[in-house]
Amino acid sequence: MRAIPVVVLAGGVLALAQSFLNPYYLRLVDVTGINIILAVSLSLTNGLTGVFSLGHVGFMAVGAYSAALLTLPTARKALILPDLPAGLQQVHLGLLPATLAGGALAALCAAAIGYPVLRLRGHYLAVATLGFLVIVRSVLINWERVTRGGVGISGIPPYTTTWWTYGVAALCLYVTWRLTQSAYGRAMLAVREDEGAAAAMGITPSAFRLLSLVVGAFFAGTAGSLWAHLITVISPNSFWLTETFALVVMLVVGGMGSTTGAVVGAVTMTIVPEALRGLEGGIQVAGLNLPPLFGLSQLLLALALILTMVWRPQGLLGGRELSWPRWLRQGSLPRRANK
Amino acid sequence: MRRACVFLLCAVVAWVTAPVGAQPQTVKIGALFNVTGGMSSIDAPGLNGAKLAVKEWNARGGVLGRRIELAAEDGKTDQTTVANAMSKLINVERVVAVGGLNDSTFALAAGPIAQKAKVPFVIAGATLPNLPDQIGDYAFMVPFTDDAQAFVGAIYTVKTLKARRVWVMTDKAYDYTLTLTKFYKQKLLELGGVVVAEDVYQSGDKDFSAQITRLRRISPPPDALFISAVPDDIGLIVRQIRSAGIRIPIVGGDGYDTELLVTIPGKALADNIYFTTHVSLTSKAAVVANFVKAYTKEYGRGPENAFAALGYDTFNLLLDAIRRAGRPDPAAIKAALEQTRGFRAVTGTISYEGGRHVPKKSVTVIKVVKGEFQFATETTP
Amino acid sequence: MSLVTYLLQQVVNGLTLGSIYALTAIGLSIVYGILRLINFAHGDVLMVGAYVALGLLGASGGNLWGALLGAAAAAGLLGVVIERVAYRPIRRAPEVAALITSLAVSILLQNAAIMIFTAHPRTFPVPAWLTQLHAVGGVLFNTLTLITVVTAAVLMVGIHLFVARAKAGIAMQACAQNLVVAEMMGIDSGRIIMLAFAVGSALAAVAGAMLGAQYGRIDPFIGFLPGLKAFVAAVIGGIGSVPGAVLGGYALGFAEILFVGLLPPELSGYRDAFVFFLLILVLVARPQGLLATGGEREA
Repeated sequence: MRAIPVVVLAGGVLALAQSFLNPYYLRLVDVTGINIILAVSLSLTNGLTGVFSLGHVGFMAVGAYSAALLTLPTARKALILPDLPAGLQQVHLGLLPATLAGGALAALCAAAIGYPVLRLRGHYLAVATLGFLVIVRSVLINWERVTRGGVGISGIPPYTTTWWTYGVAALCLYVTWRLTQSAYGRAMLAVREDEGAAAAMGITPSAFRLLSLVVGAFFAGTAGSLWAHLITVISPNSFWLTETFALVVMLVVGGMGSTTGAVVGAVTMTIVPEALRGLEGGIQVAGLNLPPLFGLSQLLLALALILTMVWRPQGLLGGRELSWPRWLRQGSLPRRANK
Repeated sequence: MRRACVFLLCAVVAWVTAPVGAQPQTVKIGALFNVTGGMSSIDAPGLNGAKLAVKEWNARGGVLGRRIELAAEDGKTDQTTVANAMSKLINVERVVAVGGLNDSTFALAAGPIAQKAKVPFVIAGATLPNLPDQIGDYAFMVPFTDDAQAFVGAIYTVKTLKARRVWVMTDKAYDYTLTLTKFYKQKLLELGGVVVAEDVYQSGDKDFSAQITRLRRISPPPDALFISAVPDDIGLIVRQIRSAGIRIPIVGGDGYDTELLVTIPGKALADNIYFTTHVSLTSKAAVVANFVKAYTKEYGRGPENAFAALGYDTFNLLLDAIRRAGRPDPAAIKAALEQTRGFRAVTGTISYEGGRHVPKKSVTVIKVVKGEFQFATETTP
Repeated sequence: MSLVTYLLQQVVNGLTLGSIYALTAIGLSIVYGILRLINFAHGDVLMVGAYVALGLLGASGGNLWGALLGAAAAAGLLGVVIERVAYRPIRRAPEVAALITSLAVSILLQNAAIMIFTAHPRTFPVPAWLTQLHAVGGVLFNTLTLITVVTAAVLMVGIHLFVARAKAGIAMQACAQNLVVAEMMGIDSGRIIMLAFAVGSALAAVAGAMLGAQYGRIDPFIGFLPGLKAFVAAVIGGIGSVPGAVLGGYALGFAEILFVGLLPPELSGYRDAFVFFLLILVLVARPQGLLATGGEREA
């Protein structure tokens, strides 16, 4: 397989990064990895079947909370969550099983809400999925026995490493790639481009929309778990509108409907705001009276987003995929007909 | 994909190799506040206080004979960004100590990074009890904790206001408000008081009429209302309660310490309110009056709330510790911080005694009469 | 307080909240009707309106009507500018592009407001006669509540008549039913869309000023959630229809107040979940809303 050298190379780069990189940049690498999982999984839902979901962060929250409850040391659980159901109280798992469980629960939620909601389309669907996010937040705030409500869960073990992050990211990319290349993927694209025609060809649109939502939710859940074990404290405010918009922006910048576009978007939107820090946070003592520029980077991002939409609504990659083997051979971007 | 990787790698390499770090003749300290986003009304005054403290030290010749450089970062009210910013301050800016943050969710996200790097982190305004224990031995707190102020509030309710039957309303969205209510109720019950009814809301709600109408149904009316709220909401709540003709005393915590408590309901309605806080900014004490004067001169308006004073205190404490440490070295600064005894700050006297990193500080009770903040009492719990 | 008084009081509470939702929902609804655009920035236009009203109130020494009118005019202009700069260039792009652009406009307006006014909440002082308390049989309300409800009612009837009777209003309906055919009939769709934005934004500004006056404080974030809830209201009522938006707004206002007022506090925290659950229910069971409009177009 042609992918093998790339995987080896990527692994080598990560190994180098781990041993030589300044912890700040290594942290950005980790955050980027998590954002890649989030953006790619959302692109699976949004891009492939045209389900514009604003509830992705809700799935992330489900994954983060359930995984955190599983990895939290039992002594700490007894201290901060005395009313937890006895079954959960005794469990103490490692990162991998907890992350898988978090992803599975998120996927379950997706299946439950997807069944009624996916019959809607377009804007209605967007608002309904936003409704899911609101409901998740409400439950996180009010189900205090299990979530500690507004207090949030702190002291989550810092299990997330670059290896885990990029392992899951690679899996996510692989699954997405396989799905798009398979008959399922073709069917999903057909649903996105022309639902009526797809149905006439014997494809059940709702089944494929559901599949894309469920798989997307699974990876959002795993990303939530990785995020929780990186930041080590989660609260209902961790999974709300700011995060939702940031995710949408990643997808838009890269171009919807393209997996590699989602990757490019995630990388760009993680690195650029951090790089813009210098612009607004660089107020040094010498310039104490400089006008505060905090908020400038958000403003610029919003402006950039509007301009992107006006001049290049298809995003940086415009629905095309970057593809490595051909790039190696020709050094040019191939066009893939998915219009 | 590969091109993106290569591009990213080049960018990162260029960035990593860019010249960074403080020049040897300066002492570089970090300030981490959420200057934008939902926390900004609390954190922005904190950063202003921090900058003022640094400016004053530099005007006096810096610390250890060196100029002080303040690296300020915005956490944007986002946990990932807060953690990134802390990591940048420590690993790129190479600061010797960090001060800031007024909410424990963010302090808990940033704290472990400072702890791992063994850089002192002085928390400006988050009041969650045991916060330093959760982070580690490099974390210090400037304010008192919520249990302390809630206990003082409950004692004041029962002993001074002679109120036994209390109605309690809590903001469910913050650990601060939930913790405050928990300890207030605990002390109230200990002192023989009763909670006649409890209600909740969520920060950001604008309409409390449903809860207030429910309160009006309670018969006989309660003796006092304990409302656990953050600064952005409390003015609205007081206005709506008083507008509904309810004149019962209202008791609360340091979230009330904002001019919004008076300006939103208006002077006539902002009456019969009692709250615990860090300092009475109307105090005649020299340390307080000087701070208010300097802040007003610097920013053209008085301190917005007690968090401005806490930010100021945090950096004064930190710089004093650096002076006492004798060298700008994180471990020495930590040791000096631990030795802090009787440090006279705007928000009270700070001592870290018995190995604790939470100061034993006095709690001030403020009484609001017709829109005027009046000093009621000051106790050390 | 008897149970009847209690319920009546909650109804008055619901009426106030509902008026604000309804005023906001109308603008969203007519714009959606024509362009199929969920304008996420609508709530932020409301916020700008509130700040303008605050400024005018201070400058005019407490002239409420002048402030309302000025805020409406300023926001109407802002709406037109936003439409011209951000939405018109992408009218032919996929609908999701427009949705995202409106998100970006929303972020832009919020951050511009933070940089201009800071995020620190501002007090919204109103003349004392507005907060004068009245009691009718134990039910309390102030002059402002009365003004809010009456102004909202007058504006809504006015807009309804405008859309139903005036020539421009009928053109608006035609555009909502079928933009292309309306253009073929000689309707200048660009001007009609501009008009829809101007009217909708002006109403939002009135809602913003009312919100500020009623609750006494504003900050750069006050618009977003009302904007979102107004969309829920518009969908519940039947998006694209003015009476539908009004009905949805009041239904949502009552539902929110009664949910908190009638249920114990352990459950009332789930209010927002309930609101959106209701929305999903309506969407699934009756996607055309309670008051269906004709000409539901495949988006």
